[in-house]
Amino acid sequence: MIEVAGRLVRNAIGLAGLIFLALLIVLAIAAPIIYPGDPWRMVGSPQLPPLSPGFPLGTDALGRDVAAGVVHGARVSLLIGLVSSLCAVIIGTCLGAVSGYFGRWVDDLIMRFTEFFQTIPSFMLAIVLVAIFSPSIGSIVFAIAIVSWPPVARLVRAEFLSLRSRDFVKAAVVGGQSPLRIIFRQILPNAFSPIIVTGSLMVASAILLESALSFLGLGDREYVTWGFMIGAGRTMIRQAWWLSAFPGIAIFLTVLALNLFGQGLNDALNPRLARKGRA
Amino acid sequence: MWMKTVRTAVAAAAMGLLATGAMAQEQPKPGGTLNLIVQPEPPTVMLGINKLGPVSFVGGKIYEGLITLGLDLKPLPGLAKSWEISPDGLTYTFHLQQGVTWHDGKPFSADDVVFSFSEFLPKVFARTKAAMDRTESITAPDANTVVFKLKQPFPALMMVFDVTGGTIVPKHLYAGTDYQKNPANQTPVGTGPFKFKEWRKGAFIQLVKNENYWQKGKPHLDNIYFHIVPDANGRSIAFETGKVDVLRGGDVENFEVRRLGELPNVAITEKGWEFYDPIAFLNINNRNKPIDDVRFRRALAHAIDKNFVVNTIFSGFGKPVDGPFTYITPFNDPAVLTKYPYDPKKARALLDEMGLKPDASGTRAELRLMPLPYGETWQRYAEYVRERLVDIGIKVKMESVDVPGWVQRLTTGDFDISFNFVYLLGDPAMGITQTYISTNQLNRGTAANVDGYNNPEVDKLLQQADTSIDPAERKRLYAEVQKILSNDVPVLWTHQMGFPTLYRTKVRNLITTGLGMNETFADVWIDRK
Amino acid sequence: MKQLEFIAGRLVKAVIVLLGIVVLAFLLIRATPGDPAAVLAGEAGAVDAEFMERVRAEFGLDRPIAEQLAIYVKQIATLQFGESYRQQRPVIDLIAERLPATLLLTMTAFCIALLVGVSLGVTAARHVGRWPDMAITVMALVFFAVPLFWIGLMAILLFAVKLPWLPAFGMETVGADLTGFGAILDTARHLVLPATTLGLFYIAIYVRMTRASVIEVMDLDFVRTARAKGIPEGRIWRRHILRNALLPIVTLASLQAGHLVGGAVLTETVFAWPGVGRLAFDALLQRDYNLLLAVFIVTSALVILFNLIADLVYAFVDPRIEVGA
Repeated sequence: MIEVAGRLVRNAIGLAGLIFLALLIVLAIAAPIIYPGDPWRMVGSPQLPPLSPGFPLGTDALGRDVAAGVVHGARVSLLIGLVSSLCAVIIGTCLGAVSGYFGRWVDDLIMRFTEFFQTIPSFMLAIVLVAIFSPSIGSIVFAIAIVSWPPVARLVRAEFLSLRSRDFVKAAVVGGQSPLRIIFRQILPNAFSPIIVTGSLMVASAILLESALSFLGLGDREYVTWGFMIGAGRTMIRQAWWLSAFPGIAIFLTVLALNLFGQGLNDALNPRLARKGRA
Repeated sequence: MWMKTVRTAVAAAAMGLLATGAMAQEQPKPGGTLNLIVQPEPPTVMLGINKLGPVSFVGGKIYEGLITLGLDLKPLPGLAKSWEISPDGLTYTFHLQQGVTWHDGKPFSADDVVFSFSEFLPKVFARTKAAMDRTESITAPDANTVVFKLKQPFPALMMVFDVTGGTIVPKHLYAGTDYQKNPANQTPVGTGPFKFKEWRKGAFIQLVKNENYWQKGKPHLDNIYFHIVPDANGRSIAFETGKVDVLRGGDVENFEVRRLGELPNVAITEKGWEFYDPIAFLNINNRNKPIDDVRFRRALAHAIDKNFVVNTIFSGFGKPVDGPFTYITPFNDPAVLTKYPYDPKKARALLDEMGLKPDASGTRAELRLMPLPYGETWQRYAEYVRERLVDIGIKVKMESVDVPGWVQRLTTGDFDISFNFVYLLGDPAMGITQTYISTNQLNRGTAANVDGYNNPEVDKLLQQADTSIDPAERKRLYAEVQKILSNDVPVLWTHQMGFPTLYRTKVRNLITTGLGMNETFADVWIDRK
Repeated sequence: MKQLEFIAGRLVKAVIVLLGIVVLAFLLIRATPGDPAAVLAGEAGAVDAEFMERVRAEFGLDRPIAEQLAIYVKQIATLQFGESYRQQRPVIDLIAERLPATLLLTMTAFCIALLVGVSLGVTAARHVGRWPDMAITVMALVFFAVPLFWIGLMAILLFAVKLPWLPAFGMETVGADLTGFGAILDTARHLVLPATTLGLFYIAIYVRMTRASVIEVMDLDFVRTARAKGIPEGRIWRRHILRNALLPIVTLASLQAGHLVGGAVLTETVFAWPGVGRLAFDALLQRDYNLLLAVFIVTSALVILFNLIADLVYAFVDPRIEVGA
C-alpha cells in the first residue's frame, strides 16, 4: 500500500493531477465562503468584461458574477461526477463479478445484456432518460450511471475470469465458502486496482457528459453548472465571449487533472507496464 | 426686392425638381430576389391546415384572406374589395375581387369562400370554428358576393378574416377530402402574389412571382427565398454577410438586433405587429395557496421591475404595461388601472400583513416557476424573476420543461407561476376575453384562463362588451374590466412585447400593414442599383 | 462455410438486439411527460378538449400501451416506420434526407482521427521517451479533456468570427445555389470545423492506442531477429512492426465508428449541421415519437452493422483468429 503511494507521488504527472484536483475540491467546498450567497444573484452591471474591478471574470447578461458561477459550478460538477461514477462502478462491478464468476449461461445472459447497452447510442439514451424523469441532479446522475456501467462490467468480468482459476479461489471453493463470500472477500480485493483506475477516468467522462447535457438545456435549473454557463453564453459569444470561455476552461482543466491522476494511478499500480511506457 | 422673388423662384424650382426626383425614386423597380429566414423550419406551408408562426410567414404569400388589417387595425381590402356591415351588426356582406385565379389556373369564386368558412376552417382551426359557431348562415348570393349572418352581434368578427384565421382554400381541391392527408398539401395552391416553387428540406423554400396575380403590375419581386438556419448565431452571420436581407422579430435575440442595427444601410423597425399585439405576462395559478389571496398577488406584482425587464433583458424593445391591454389594443384605458410599481419593501409588507412571516432561513413561501422554453432571453427573464422573488422571501423552484411539457402543464393547471405571451389579435373579444372568462379554463390552449380566475362580474362585462355594436358602450365596459382586473391581479402583466424587424434599407414597403412580415408582400420591392 | 455460419449467427443476434432496442426505446419514449397532442394544441392556439381527443385518436394515442407497441413492432417488421406527427411525412423520408449529412460528418471525422491519430502515435512510439513523444502525449491528453461543444464554440469564434477563414455553421452557404465542383468545395469548407472538432477526442484515443501497440510490438523477439538478420530498418518498420501493430488499432477503431454516428448530436447542434443527431433531439423536444424512435433504431442498426463489418474484416485479415470462436 505504502509502496503504491510512494510510486504515485514520485510520478510527476499523477502528482500534478492530484494537486489540481485537491485544489478544486477545496475550492468547491469553500465556495460559499469565497462567494457567499447565491451565484444567481445579480451583483453588477450586465456584460462587464473580465478584469473589471471586483469581477475578475466579468459579468453576464443580467449582471451576475462569472467567477462566482465557475466556483459554485465546481461543486455541482464534482458531485455529479463522483456520485454517478460510483453508481456506474457499483452496477458494473456487481454484474461483471457475477458474470465472470459463474460463467456459462449466467455469463452469456449478462454479456448479452451488456452488449445490448453498448449498442444503444449512449448519448441519445442519456438524453431520453433525463427527459423522462425531468432534468434534475437525480435524473442526470441516474442517466450517466446507466450509460457508463458496461465498460466496468467487461473489465471486472475479465478480471474475474482470470482470477477464478487461481489456487486461492479453488481453495476457498473446496473450503466450502459461499459464492458471495468468495466474490467479495477473495476475488474482488485483487481486482481493485483496475476498477479504481477505470473509476477515476470515469469521473472525467461523467463530468463531460453532465456538462454536455446542461449545454443542451437538459441540466438542473436550480444550480449553476459549467455546461449551463457555456450554453447560456453561446448566443452572446460575439458580445461577451468570456461567458462561454471560462467555464469551458474549468471543465477542461478538471477533466485533464482527472485523466492525469488516473494515468498516474495506473502507472503506480502497474509499475511493470509503466516502465514499458504503456498507456 | 426682386432678389427675394428670384430666390423664392429658384427655391421653388429646386423643390419641384427634388420632389419629382424623390417621387421618381419611389417608383417600385420590378424584379429581384428577396432573401429571408424562416425558423424553425415549418412542417408544411399549407396555411389552411397549420397555423404555426412560420407557416403563416411563408403561407401568407401563397394564400390570401378576405381582408388584411392596416397599421391602425382598420380592415383593408384583400380578396374582398369592399364590404358592408348591417347597422344591427348581424349581417356581413363581402364583395369579392374579380378576375382572380388559383395558382393552378382555375377561377376563384364565392364558393371557395363559403367552403373555407363553413367546412374547411372550422375543422382545422379552433379560433375560426369559435367565430363561425356564432354564425347562423354563410351564403353566396352570387359568384362575387358572400354573406355571413350572425346569431348575435360580434364586432370582433372582422379580426378572423385575415389570411391566417380566414385562409381561403380552393374548394375544387379540398372538398370532400381528408384535409390533413390531401396530396395537394405538398404543392400548395392559393391565390396570392407568390407561387410555391421548391422546398429543399433543411435548406430553403422558394416562392416565385405569380404572373397571373389579380393585382396588375404586382408583385414586384421575382423570387422569395426562405432560408432555413436553425442556429441563432448562424442567422446573425447570415444577415451580416449579406446572405439574407431581413431578420424577422424573434430570428435573433434582441441584443443582437441592436448590434446588427449599427451596420451601414440597415434599419430597425418595431412596426408590423399591430394585429398580433403580443403581451407578455406571468400566469399565476389562482387556485393554489397562497396565490389565491389577492394580497399575495399584489406583492408579487410589486416585486418585479418591469423597466429592468424591458430595458435590460429585452434590450429596450417593448413597453411596460400595468394591465391586460397593451397600448395598441383598442379600448385600452391606462387611467383606470391600479398600478404596482417596483417596490420590494411594499411587497414584503403585504406578505407580513397576510401572516406570511419569514422563517429561520428567510423563506415565507415556496413556489414553482415554469420558464418559457423559447430561447435565451426568456431563460434570463426566468432567472431574473426568481431572484426578485427570493429577494422578498419566496423560495422558487425553477422547473425544467421543454415546449410540450410547458404546454401540457400550463393547460392542465399543473403550475404555480409560469411565463407566457399571448397574441391579442386586434380586438379584446378575440384576444383578451379568453384569458379572463371563467368558462374557458383548462385544456383549451395556452392563452386560456389557465389561472382559474373566477369573477362573475367580469364574465358578464366581457360577454356584454364582446357582443355590443356600440363603440362607446364597449369602451365603458372594457374600462370597467380593466379596472377590476388590475385590482384583482389574476395575472402579472409585464410588458407589451417588441419584436423588432431588421432590414436592409434597399428593401422597400417591407412592412405596410398590421400583419407586418406575414403580409402577402405584393408591394415589396428592392431598390437595386 | 464456417464464415457463412458465423455471419448468419451474427445476423440473427443483430435482429434480436434490434428488437430489444425497439421495445425499450418505445417504452422509454412513451414514458416522457407530455405528448404530441399537447404540442400541436399549443401551437394551434386556442383549442378545446374535443380537439385534443381528436388529435390523440388520429395518432392512435388513445389505445392501451401494449396494443400500440404490438402495432408498432409489426410495422417495423415490414419496414414501415410510420409518419412524423409534426411534419406529416413518412419518417423514413426525413431520416433519409438527414442521414447522409451525419454520415459525411462522422466518416470524415473518423478518417481524420484515424489518420492523424495513428501517424502521431507511430511518431511518438518511434521517439519514445524523447520530446516528440512528450509533446504528442500531452497533446493527446489535452484533446481528451477538452469538452467537444466548448472547443467547437471557441473554434467558431476564432476561425469564423475573428479571422473569417471558415464558415461558422451549416453544411452549405446560405443563398448560394452551387452545383458540381463548386458545391463540393463549399461543403468541404463547411466540413472542416465540425469534422475536426468531432475527431479531436478520437485522435487522442488512437494516438494512445497506436503508441502503446507499436511500443509493444517494437520490443518483440521477431523484430530483434529481423534486425539481427540485417534487414533494413525501413523494411522492418513497414513489413513487421506496423503491420502487426496497426491491425488491432484499425479493427478497434471500426468498432468505435458506430459510436461516432450516435454521438454527433453535440457537434450537429453547435455547428447547425443538418444531420440525424439534431433531428432526433428536435424530435424529442417536440415529442415526435415516431421520428425519435426511428432515429434510435436506425442508429443502433448502423452500430451493429459497423461492428459486424469490423469483426469480419478482423477475422478475414488475421488468419490466426478463428471465426466463430
